[in-house]
Amino acid sequence: MTSRRLLAACSLAIATAITLAGCSGSTTEDSSSAASGTANADYYPVTVTDMAGNEVTIESADSVAITDNRFFQVAADWDVPVTAAPLDLFSPQNPLAESTDILNIGTHSEPDFEQVVAADPDLIINGYRFSEENADGMQDAAPDAAFVDMNGPEGQPVDEYVTESLTLMGEVFNKQDEAEALIEDFHTAVDDAKASYDPETTVMGLVTTGKEINYSNPTDGRGSSIFFDLLDLTPALDASGSEGHMGDDISLEAIAGANADFFLVLDRSAAVSESAEDQSALELITASPSLANVPAVVNDAIYVMPGDYYLTEDVFAYIAVLDGLAESFPAK
Amino acid sequence: MHTQARRVTRTDPLGAAARTRSAARTKTRAWPLALAILLTLGLIAASLLVGVADITDTSGGAEFLFITRIPRTIALVLAGASMAMAGLVMQLMTQNRFVEPTTVGTTEWAGLGLLLCYILFPVSSVFVKMLIAIVFAFLGTLVFFAFLRRVTLKSSLIVPIVGIMFGAVISSITTFLALQFDLLQVLGGWFMGSFTHIEIGRYEPLWVVLIAAVAVVVVADRFTVAGLGKDIATTVGLNYERVVLLGVGLVALVTGVVTVVIGSLPFLGLIVPNLVSMIRGDNLRSNIPWVFLTGIWVVTVCDLISRTVIMPFEVPISLVLGIIGAAVFIFMLLRARRTSAH
Repeated sequence: MTSRRLLAACSLAIATAITLAGCSGSTTEDSSSAASGTANADYYPVTVTDMAGNEVTIESADSVAITDNRFFQVAADWDVPVTAAPLDLFSPQNPLAESTDILNIGTHSEPDFEQVVAADPDLIINGYRFSEENADGMQDAAPDAAFVDMNGPEGQPVDEYVTESLTLMGEVFNKQDEAEALIEDFHTAVDDAKASYDPETTVMGLVTTGKEINYSNPTDGRGSSIFFDLLDLTPALDASGSEGHMGDDISLEAIAGANADFFLVLDRSAAVSESAEDQSALELITASPSLANVPAVVNDAIYVMPGDYYLTEDVFAYIAVLDGLAESFPAK
Repeated sequence: MHTQARRVTRTDPLGAAARTRSAARTKTRAWPLALAILLTLGLIAASLLVGVADITDTSGGAEFLFITRIPRTIALVLAGASMAMAGLVMQLMTQNRFVEPTTVGTTEWAGLGLLLCYILFPVSSVFVKMLIAIVFAFLGTLVFFAFLRRVTLKSSLIVPIVGIMFGAVISSITTFLALQFDLLQVLGGWFMGSFTHIEIGRYEPLWVVLIAAVAVVVVADRFTVAGLGKDIATTVGLNYERVVLLGVGLVALVTGVVTVVIGSLPFLGLIVPNLVSMIRGDNLRSNIPWVFLTGIWVVTVCDLISRTVIMPFEVPISLVLGIIGAAVFIFMLLRARRTSAH
């Protein structure tokens, strides 16, 4: 055996040893997280109808893989025994984001399904980011797990989705009371925001990046369209654009020409900055000479969504934005 | 081709066919240039008049003439002329017609610099970001030249292929870093070539390229001589190294500034100098106004298209340039093959 071969053989042996050690490590973690689920032991099996309308029987929820970012925070709050998740999609604010017990699937663009195999979940909560192809990958990786699809029907209104999906999550994890409280919080926030909004106020959704201000359309634009839907906002410019996550390229003249009374802004660069109080989106808009005479800028009627909004897009983010809007809408 | 010392590459037929024709008319006729300038003025006027706001409306729209319309048109002129010029200088320095800042990695290096700036100094101003992008563009281009000298690959297609590979390596490093630091979307936003956000107060750094343009015009003859190759240039008493360094520096400056302020403008530096020398031959000094003007035409026309096709929205100019540029490029390749078959 040449020395090179020997070296290769040795490194292979070491690698195998490390892998085995890694595996044994993760099994102990599994058993420890399984222990936290035993309180619910007599609740399961339970049969629920998921958001896609399928009847799913959940035998147990001691090891849960969750890929729908809208429920990461819910999972953290309810102490769901998460064993596999795309940790890269977690908001840094989420207490589970730094968890070492959760096997990291990565992101939806390059999911690592091996981690799902390793976690061997008995329940998968799958949502819109892991759509179709990835959903199949999840199911292949854990064929015996109950698969709960969190994708609602096409065009479902947001409030309906929030109510139904949270009720479902409550049923799945035996947290009906918590779910109900959350739904109630959400509806209160909607009502408060509605109460402080004057339909005379025209609103325009914007998406900002490092240097550009783009347009987010009121029907299906990224970020703001949900709130047009929830609060019946009056659009300043009702041009149908794309669903693109960057918004639509639009000239500053066109933004200024719409003469909006209020700007609702999603800041794409916010994830970059460490501080939660990043002002760059606001500065970009207020410093623009083109927009200087727009009522929204003149009256300081601009609301910038929380920095992690596009990571979470969950009920907590909705409530935060709704509360923020209720405060920032111009007085009637 | 061997007898022709001034072009070592085999792509020269592009210009060779035209050279005999152009030699006769280079000096005498001034009217084509006058006509070209007139056309440029017409395009500039069109660029000033097209847009969402009504600039004839003195009650509100007229102010946009100064806030967005004039700055945007100036930005178009500066970016178009300077990127075309950068391509020309680059082609002379490498003695290769398929080279331009986006095919030798200059743009990618500028991007890497910008990204590192975001990672290391997230709160820095646009000026600092631009400065770092320029320094990186310069260093990266120098690395490419050093590499070229080492391997002395003069085959016309190998040089740009090496450059593209080089750029791809840099761009994958950039992408990797961007992924690690969650900056991919920011990067995409910066480099999407687009004039939509240009307004007064946001385009001014572009004036810097004017310095580069003046410098190129002043040392045009030296660049032409350097374009004959190191041996010939040295024989006629030119400090070759210094001229190349100057050329690289100017290209880096222009690319860095335009990349940061506007974004990537693909194909511009490639097609404009080729179009010009296809018609007029290879004299840099007399070609340079034509390169400037053609650069302005291409960018202005593309921008007019990009801002009218889906009004009130716009498509990024890099998209329009990519489509038109690719078509022109293929046309040039086919034409080059036809002429060399003679």
